Amino acid sequence: MHKQAILREKRTVIIFAILAVLLVVSVLLYIYSRTYAKALRLNIVMDKSAFSSIMGRTIPALIGMGAAAVLIAVVSLAFQTITGSRILTPSMIGFDSVFVGTQTVLVFLFSSMSKAFTNPYLNYLIVAGTMVTVSMMMYGSILRSNKNNLVFLLMFGLILSGIVRSGSTYLQVIMDVNDFNQVRAATSVTVNNMNTKIIFIALPLMVAVISIMLARHKIYDVMSLGPDNAKSLGIPYEKEMKFSLFLISVGMSVATALIGSLAFLGLLAVNIARELLKTYKHVYLFIGSAGLAALALIAGQAVVELLQGAVPVTVIIDLIGCSYMFYLILKENRV
Amino acid sequence: MIEVKNLNQSYTKHGKKKTLENINLTVKEKAITALIGPNGAGKSTLLGVTANLIKPLSGMVMINGIDVRNIKTDELAKKLAILKQTHNINIRITVKDLVEFGRFPHCGGRLTDIDKQKVKESLEYMNLAGMEERYLDELSGGQRQRAFIAMILAQDTPYIFLDEPLNNLDIKSSVEMMKIIKSLVTELDKTIVVVLHDINFASAYADYIVAMKNGRIAGEGSMEEMITKEVLDEVFDHDFNIVTHQGRNVCLYFDRTFNRRKIYEVI
Repeated sequence: MHKQAILREKRTVIIFAILAVLLVVSVLLYIYSRTYAKALRLNIVMDKSAFSSIMGRTIPALIGMGAAAVLIAVVSLAFQTITGSRILTPSMIGFDSVFVGTQTVLVFLFSSMSKAFTNPYLNYLIVAGTMVTVSMMMYGSILRSNKNNLVFLLMFGLILSGIVRSGSTYLQVIMDVNDFNQVRAATSVTVNNMNTKIIFIALPLMVAVISIMLARHKIYDVMSLGPDNAKSLGIPYEKEMKFSLFLISVGMSVATALIGSLAFLGLLAVNIARELLKTYKHVYLFIGSAGLAALALIAGQAVVELLQGAVPVTVIIDLIGCSYMFYLILKENRV
Repeated sequence: MIEVKNLNQSYTKHGKKKTLENINLTVKEKAITALIGPNGAGKSTLLGVTANLIKPLSGMVMINGIDVRNIKTDELAKKLAILKQTHNINIRITVKDLVEFGRFPHCGGRLTDIDKQKVKESLEYMNLAGMEERYLDELSGGQRQRAFIAMILAQDTPYIFLDEPLNNLDIKSSVEMMKIIKSLVTELDKTIVVVLHDINFASAYADYIVAMKNGRIAGEGSMEEMITKEVLDEVFDHDFNIVTHQGRNVCLYFDRTFNRRKIYEVI
């Protein structure tokens, strides 16, 4: 093998090792921040039973955060590959607004006491089903006419999310006060206020989406050469694209329902992974961006807990992500 | 053998404005077929439809007697490779990695020794030995074009379609590229269809020339039959001068009679 290729491989291994260490440290820091740091602050002795009872809540939170972060990163990378863009993420075609919209309409039509809203599984299935249907209908109608016009799709998504958002705000204004509070509670899920009730349905779906995408990394490699080259190399591009978009819809619905909207996490993780790893190979990019996303979320959350939760971690991630996106747009325009 | 039968194609759904109209064509085996014609004549579209990149409105394309729509995409990729004119891929990739993609239809990305050997051969054939680890964006236009042809070559298909391979190349690189394409036919027995804008390159290197105009085939034949004043004037709506040099017809298409008033009249 060539010298440069070996050097590149070595670099990748080192980056992964550092990432793994940082991840372990941030997990430990998170656990520490929720147990001993808190005990120290409140002057309580941390005994075994208290520790295990806190861990009973901390571990699901950790799993939820980790899984959602990994999912968002993987899905965002796949989305960037099929759209051939480094700036787009699935949140931009209105995934989270459809989530809020569906919840609002559900409560508006059937009130907050109905089964469709109170049963977490049924509620999740309805919301996820709507998200997948709406997005697939969008792709279907746009892709059927034999034009792979993703710019049009994105504009359509942007407008759709605008309509859905203002529509749901309108419904929320005219609905019953109690219902309004319930909708707000259900749609303002954040990292601190995770919807852990659905974790048993969310986890298997997450694992499925992530492993299917990981298993197809070679196909994504070829697709990153563009539609014409990919087709010439024997990839049924339209079919692959539709399937990927379906997986992305499912993945985004799980992540949004579980920890709410994290608009910029995917963008941040995927682009930093690209910068660090300097490769187009999706195996490395999938793992790298997943690790980075989990690291950003868990380390950020640990720091927030240590600082006694002055600022939610999502705000920090969105702030950094937003500035990074501006930087990317400016950089791409200069060339 | 590739046969195109009654092919129609249009950009609108109901086919009012046709980009291809009743195309019937049999591709000459083990030869270079050049597609020439003015802009918007449908050359690239014909290439795309024949390679199954675009679905036709009606008609069909047969490869060895089988309709392409009935061939699985990965099987088709072992028979036919196409390189479109714009390949501004937005990933940073080395020459070797790009050429290895050419083996994807054969190995699904898991390269065996045979695949590696094929990649090495293609790189050597395209004079890219020693440049394997260079990134594509560090190369000149001609080298980059050669890297893409090497990928197509590694794909090891009997049929190769090239859409304006001379685009953005200087004269030296263009001649080199055409010589390489010619040698693919004479040495490796490939069947090549190539869209060319420069008629003189078609005249010098193509074995068979197909001229297109307004989505129809305006004429087809050998160099002697096609590179004539009558045919080209009709196809390109232009006043040509044909001279013969080394047994090949060469077109002179510049117009030195500057008559500004005439231009005004046209406008």
